[in-house]
Amino acid sequence: MSRPREVLDALHATIVGQDEVVEALVLAVIAGGHILLEGAPGVAKTLACRTLAAAVGGVFRRVQFTPDLLPSDIVGTRIFDQKSGDFTTVLGPLFANVVLADEINRAPAKVQSALLEGMQERRVTIGPQTHDLPAPFVVLATMNPYDTEGTYALPLAQLDRFLAKAVVAYPSLEEERAIVDRFGAGEPPLRANVATLDDVLRWQREAHDVFVDAKIRDYTVDLTRATRTADLVAHGASPRAALALVALARARAYLEGRTFAVPDDVRDVAPAVLRHRISYDERIAITGGDPEDVVRRIIASVPAP
Amino acid sequence: MTRGRAVLGLALAALLTSPANAASLHTLHVDALSMRADRARVAVGEVFHLAIHVRVRENVAALDELVVPDVGTMKLEGDERHVTSSPSGTDVVETLTLEPTAPGEFTFKGAYLDAVDARTRKPSRFSANPVRVVVGAPAPTVGSLYAGIARFMIAIMLAGSVVLAAIAALVTIVRMRRRPAPAVVTVAAPVATVPPRTPRDDVAEALRAYRTAPANGSLTRLRGALFVAAGTNAGATLRDALAATSDRELHAALIAAERTAFGPAHQRDASSAELIGTTGTWLSAEPARDVR
Repeated sequence: MSRPREVLDALHATIVGQDEVVEALVLAVIAGGHILLEGAPGVAKTLACRTLAAAVGGVFRRVQFTPDLLPSDIVGTRIFDQKSGDFTTVLGPLFANVVLADEINRAPAKVQSALLEGMQERRVTIGPQTHDLPAPFVVLATMNPYDTEGTYALPLAQLDRFLAKAVVAYPSLEEERAIVDRFGAGEPPLRANVATLDDVLRWQREAHDVFVDAKIRDYTVDLTRATRTADLVAHGASPRAALALVALARARAYLEGRTFAVPDDVRDVAPAVLRHRISYDERIAITGGDPEDVVRRIIASVPAP
Repeated sequence: MTRGRAVLGLALAALLTSPANAASLHTLHVDALSMRADRARVAVGEVFHLAIHVRVRENVAALDELVVPDVGTMKLEGDERHVTSSPSGTDVVETLTLEPTAPGEFTFKGAYLDAVDARTRKPSRFSANPVRVVVGAPAPTVGSLYAGIARFMIAIMLAGSVVLAAIAALVTIVRMRRRPAPAVVTVAAPVATVPPRTPRDDVAEALRAYRTAPANGSLTRLRGALFVAAGTNAGATLRDALAATSDRELHAALIAAERTAFGPAHQRDASSAELIGTTGTWLSAEPARDVR
C-alpha cells in the first residue's frame, strides 16, 4: 500500500523545482478534484501531468485542444456498424483515470462546456445512453497565458469547476541549470506505477475522514467572503471556494500524515483555490497591478484562528 | 492577587511609556467597551461574574491590549475570554468569575484598551464604566435558623407564666439575635511593586485559567499567549510561530496547543494533558533569549 508522499517523491524525481505545482497536483488527486495549470510554454506543465499519470497508473489520455475540436472528439460518439446494422458507441478520451486537457482555452466554448460538464457530473451522455466516467477521474488542464489571440477565455462559472489553479513559474537560475543537466541527454524515464488506482481511491476515502474543526470551517468561509469585499475585485469567489478550501485542507493534512486540519493547511492552499475564482475590476489593467498580489492581500487580511 | 498587582503594574508602565509604544498599538474603531456585574449585592463566599465587552469594527483574532480591572482581595475563580470575529468586526467578551472574601463595598475600576483611534489616528485609551458591588456578611446557615426559632418559642411559653421573666427573656433573646454591625473593610489598593508583565506571565496565567476550566475560551487564550510568547502577532499560524523562535520547549507547547485546538474531540483529553505538561515544562525552563 503506497502513500501519497511516494507519488510526490516520484514527481520531484522528474520535475525540477515547482514545489507548489507538484504538491497541488498530488493534493488534487487526494481530494478527487481537477486542476488547472497556467504557465508559459516549456515550463513542464505537460511533463508534470504525464509524470503524475505514470506514477498513479491507470489509463492516461491526452487531448490537445484546438479551435476545430468537437465535443464528440472528447466524450465519444455513436457510429453505424454495417455488419450488425446497428449503432455502436465509441467512448472518447475523457474515459480515462487521468486526462490531460492541453491548452484548454484553444477549443471553442461548446467543447470546453462538454469537458467541464463531464468533470462536474463524472458521467457523460452519448446518444440515448449515459456512461459513468471511471474512478478515480482527474482532469489536469493546462493554459498558456500568452498568445491569447484566437483563444476562448474560460468564463468564471467554468473556472469555478476546477478545484485549484496552479501557476507554473519560470525556474530559478539554479533550477534551470539542473533542468539542463537532467534533460540534456534526453528525457529520463518516468517513475511508473508508484501507486495503484486502489491506493488513490483509498487516499480519497481516508482524506475525506480528516477532521475539520468549526474554527477551520469558519476560517475558510471568512476567506471566501473576504474576496467579495476586497479592493480591485469585481466579483468574489462563490461558496464552492469554501468547499474547495476544506477539501484541499483535508488533503494537505492527509499528505502530512495528520488526522485533522490546521490553519496552515487552509492558508497554504488558499492561493490555488481563490486565484481563478475572482474577477478583477478594470483598475488592475489600468494600473498594471498583479492579481496575485490581490489574492495575497486578501489572505493576509483574514486572521487565522 | 498576582494578577491584580501585575495588572496595575502594567497600567503604570503603560502610562509612563505610552508615547514610545504608540507605534506598536493596533489601529481600531472601538464601538463599545462596557463592564457589568451579574449581581450588585453578594455575600462573602458567593460567586458572581464580572463581564467586559469590547466591540471593534476590525476583524482581529485577539485583543491582547485589553486590560481587566484589579480584583483586589476577591478570589479569581475563573477567567474566560471569547472572541467572535467576522469581516464586519470583532466582539470580545471576557468573564471573570469572582468570590468575595471580605464584606464591604467594592468598586471595580473600568477595564481599558490602548489603541490608535482609527477616527483620529491618535493613540488613545478607551475605558469602560466602573462597577460597584456591595459585599454582605456570610448568609446564616439552616442550623442557626432553627435554633433561633426554638429560642423564640421558649420565650413565648415563658411569657405566658411569668411576665417579668418573659420580658427578661425577650430582652435576652433580642440581645442574642442582635448581631454586631458588619465591620467595614477597606480594600487596600495593591502596591505596584511588581516588575513589568512579560509574555511568560501571560502564559502562566492563561495556563492556570485553562487548568481551572479547560474550555474553548481558556484554550484560545492559552494558545494566543503561547503565540505571543513565540514572538508572533494575532492571526498568525503555527508555522509563523515555530519560525519565530528556536526554543524547543516552546515548540512542543505550540504544537500541543494546535493539536488541542483543532484535533478531534476524542483526542482532546490526551492532547490537553500534553498541552498542560509541555507548557508547564516551558514555564519551568530558563527563558530563551533567541526569539527572532
